[in-house]
Amino acid sequence: MFRPVKLTRLTVQVPEDQISAVMAVLGDFRLLHLIRVEETHLGHLGYVAHIDTSLLEHYDRLLARANRLLREIGPAGPSPGIRKVPRPDKAVFRLEEELAHIEKEALEPLEREKKAKNAISEHEALIAKLQLLEPAKIDLDRLHDLKYVTWRAGLIPEENLNKLEQSLVDTHHTLIPVGRKERRVVLLAMSLKEDEEALLRALKSAFCDPLELPPGIHGTIEKVLDRKSSELEHLKTKLTGLDTEWAELTQKYGTRLKSLREEILLAMQLLKAQAKFGQIDHTYLLTGWIPIALFEELKKRIIKVTSGKVLVDQVDPEDIKEVRSGILKIPILFNNPMLIRPFERLTTLYGTPSYEEMEPTVFLAVSFLLLFGMMFGDMGHGAVLCGIGYYVFRKMYRYIDYGIILMECGVSSMIFGLLYGSVFGMENLFPALWMHPMEEINRFMVMSAFLGIGIISLGLILNLINVIHQHRYGELLSTSGLAGALLYWLGVGLVVRYLLSGGLGPFEVIFAKVAAGALIILMILQRPVRAVLAQRRTGKKGERIPPGLGGTILESFIEVFDDLLRYLTNTVSFVRVAAFALTHAGLFIAVFSLADMVRGIHGGGLFYWVTLIIGNVFIIALEGMVVSIQTIRLEYYEFFSKFFRGGGKPFQPLLEEE
Amino acid sequence: MVPKTRIARTAIMILAAARYAYPNAKVRALRSRRFTAQDRHFLLETKDFSSFLAYLATTPYGRVLPDLEDRIPDPGVLERQLARSLMEDYAKVTRSLRGQREQELVLALFSRFESENLKVLLRALFSGLEKQTVAHLLYPLGKLSTLPWDDLWACNNPAEVADLLIRNPFGQALKHAIPQFNVQGRLFPLEMALDLSCFQRLKQAISGLRSRSDRKAAKRILGPYVDMLNISWVIRLKIHYGLSHEEIVNYSLSGGELLTLSHLHRLARAEDISSFMEQIPRSIQKEVVEVRDWEDFHIYLEAWLLRLIARLFAGPPFHIGIEICFFLEKEMELTSLITLLEAKVQGLSPDKTVKKLPIQFSGVAHV
Repeated sequence: MFRPVKLTRLTVQVPEDQISAVMAVLGDFRLLHLIRVEETHLGHLGYVAHIDTSLLEHYDRLLARANRLLREIGPAGPSPGIRKVPRPDKAVFRLEEELAHIEKEALEPLEREKKAKNAISEHEALIAKLQLLEPAKIDLDRLHDLKYVTWRAGLIPEENLNKLEQSLVDTHHTLIPVGRKERRVVLLAMSLKEDEEALLRALKSAFCDPLELPPGIHGTIEKVLDRKSSELEHLKTKLTGLDTEWAELTQKYGTRLKSLREEILLAMQLLKAQAKFGQIDHTYLLTGWIPIALFEELKKRIIKVTSGKVLVDQVDPEDIKEVRSGILKIPILFNNPMLIRPFERLTTLYGTPSYEEMEPTVFLAVSFLLLFGMMFGDMGHGAVLCGIGYYVFRKMYRYIDYGIILMECGVSSMIFGLLYGSVFGMENLFPALWMHPMEEINRFMVMSAFLGIGIISLGLILNLINVIHQHRYGELLSTSGLAGALLYWLGVGLVVRYLLSGGLGPFEVIFAKVAAGALIILMILQRPVRAVLAQRRTGKKGERIPPGLGGTILESFIEVFDDLLRYLTNTVSFVRVAAFALTHAGLFIAVFSLADMVRGIHGGGLFYWVTLIIGNVFIIALEGMVVSIQTIRLEYYEFFSKFFRGGGKPFQPLLEEE
Repeated sequence: MVPKTRIARTAIMILAAARYAYPNAKVRALRSRRFTAQDRHFLLETKDFSSFLAYLATTPYGRVLPDLEDRIPDPGVLERQLARSLMEDYAKVTRSLRGQREQELVLALFSRFESENLKVLLRALFSGLEKQTVAHLLYPLGKLSTLPWDDLWACNNPAEVADLLIRNPFGQALKHAIPQFNVQGRLFPLEMALDLSCFQRLKQAISGLRSRSDRKAAKRILGPYVDMLNISWVIRLKIHYGLSHEEIVNYSLSGGELLTLSHLHRLARAEDISSFMEQIPRSIQKEVVEVRDWEDFHIYLEAWLLRLIARLFAGPPFHIGIEICFFLEKEMELTSLITLLEAKVQGLSPDKTVKKLPIQFSGVAHV
């Protein structure tokens, strides 16, 4: 929990004909972070493995087919999961066969569905045209039987009607407006057959949108409409029947199809991962990081599937030259329990901890919940947050971590609500187990400052642990090291002594002055002294004083002064916890006052409760957001800045889950 | 309502003066940058294209010419560059007008240039050409045009263009023309629809003017303008495109003053120039009595329009007609300039060139 998972570097040398089997085993384990061959000496020499592109292309085609089938059959719900990772070179045959079988069964209903949909859209288009012509109440048979007259139906823009009439003034014609649609007139235009060309030219130039009816339609428009409408209903019923067939197909093959798709994706990931391998002739070389605890089992399984034709080795990180020199970074695999795990997102938002550092997530989680609860303490509001968090946790898979954080924040708020005796701002329902913030403002502010001292001190301690662990002993005398921490605690001790006893004894004052002075001088001089020592080790004979020493001393002085001031400001910054807790209570007072005013004006209880509800929603939204931001700020700026260096590399498992 | 008392008439005049004092002053200032008689003479008499450009650089059009130091610019590119002056004037005058309806009238007039650019866009889409290939054919509309040009150039076909412009009169016109485009398989219906929609918009803008004197002034100049265009179009569609009289009538512009649909129908059916002339209303007939060739009609009609413009400028000034007249006059000057430019590129002599130009360039000043 306080340190990432211990990793070891794995090296596998495997012949070309066994690589697929080894990939399947590695895929099963998943917790392998492959080192790109370009980062190793093999990569520098150009021994990069080639991907089997023809196999990959085959899988690409399989994926396209599987996706198409899934779109048509469309099973919903989460993926079933793969129990055994496939061997890409072997699995392709089975996958091909299974897909072909499903396609064969699905093909025929697909064709029928396509035809039915086309027929429906044709019918709908025809019905729309007939509905436009319906007011004319014409008999299509009589129109078709006309020997000397020709006719056309269409939509003409309103403004073109006069021009159309004028353009046909030399021909025997009639223009019958039947209806209107969106600033266009539905027109039935008729002329003698000998004038058909003129009619067509005129209609064309009048921007006529022809309403052409397919041949073979007989009877009055009304009857044709009825007929076509019932045909449409029949087609829709047929389509619904097809839906039933699809539903059966979905039930029969849906889950299997999803599973096949996942196998295809996994196989493709494994094939693509080979780009990170090294290759010399017919031997593949792969290196990666794996949890130490999994190494033996992995080795056993690889040897088993390859019948011993493989070399598996491990090296401790401390024994790797590139790791010691900082060229190669060990990835960090978090190791937190379920309730703390969501806070990893907040940690990585600041930076990825390096492998050698203390893993700060658990400290972040505890302090975050503490600070949040203090600033947002109310049982009712906490319960609402909990409820929202639970909803997100259950319904929004993508935001599940945030749902958990919300629930935990809700619980913390509820606990502090209990301590403050507050339920939706009402403090008269039960007594406060600790205190009402508004009634003991000074005490609360002092408590907040001491909370800040505690968190900052924790940060300093974590920094000391990191410094010792990473052998950065030179930093112990700096403001962020032991010297700075001691000075800080000396100051805190004096303040506590003063607050408790009302004054400081002469010995205490002298001791404080001497100790503080000594520590400050140490902190100022540690950089220049190290510079001088470094100059003596590496510099030319006779040159004992490094150039710019005066500047270094001045810089050191200003740095120390700045850092000490920052300690003070960081501590005082935590008083905002009290401020926001008081704001929270203050907003309640405002809401209740407003509700009372509203009740006074309108005289009814309904408006009072409506005002209270709206006010509470507003407080939850606004204060919730503000308190979250302030908490993150305190965590990042006041806490993390004391010890968190970051620069680590996140662990990338071999197979990413969708 | 016609004001009955002198006080009411005076009050209306004062209000009109307040409304149009600044725009008219702006127009007069811009109008002072027209070609002088000397400019027209020397532009006509220059011996070749490069000396034509050299003289043009000394006129108010000089500031829109590209840098002429190293090479002679492409005439095709130059034509649209010269229009920048006109586009800038549109923007300046529109800004100076206070009323939204007055601005709408000017914008309706301006929309003809937007229509030209839309036609270029549609042709590029139809032919599969990129914007860069046809950029030189586009008018530099500037910020006065609020159409989403970037999105329009990203469209794949005319139907998408129509959908994108659906809230605009252009889009509605295109939408109505798309069925015929699909049937005929050519852009002609779409291009005609764009042109017709501009003049439909112009007609609506005139009707929308609040002031009676503004409506009257606008019709007084735009009515004859539309008549002039209708006559030119009948000739173009009939002689050059060979369209039937039914089509010619349907493709005519609305908003004319003297030419009715009946006139247009008879004009479209005319067999030769003399029968064509007989169908023209008398008040226009006397303006074109000397025409001997189809190509000459527009020269005489433009001269007639220029005289009408001159009369409006000489009359009472406080109405929207002044602004309209300025734009039409400047457009005709620009058209003449481009004709002259093309003549110089082709190496035509001044005698041959002057036959193609309106009378204002031939030395007989009408303004």
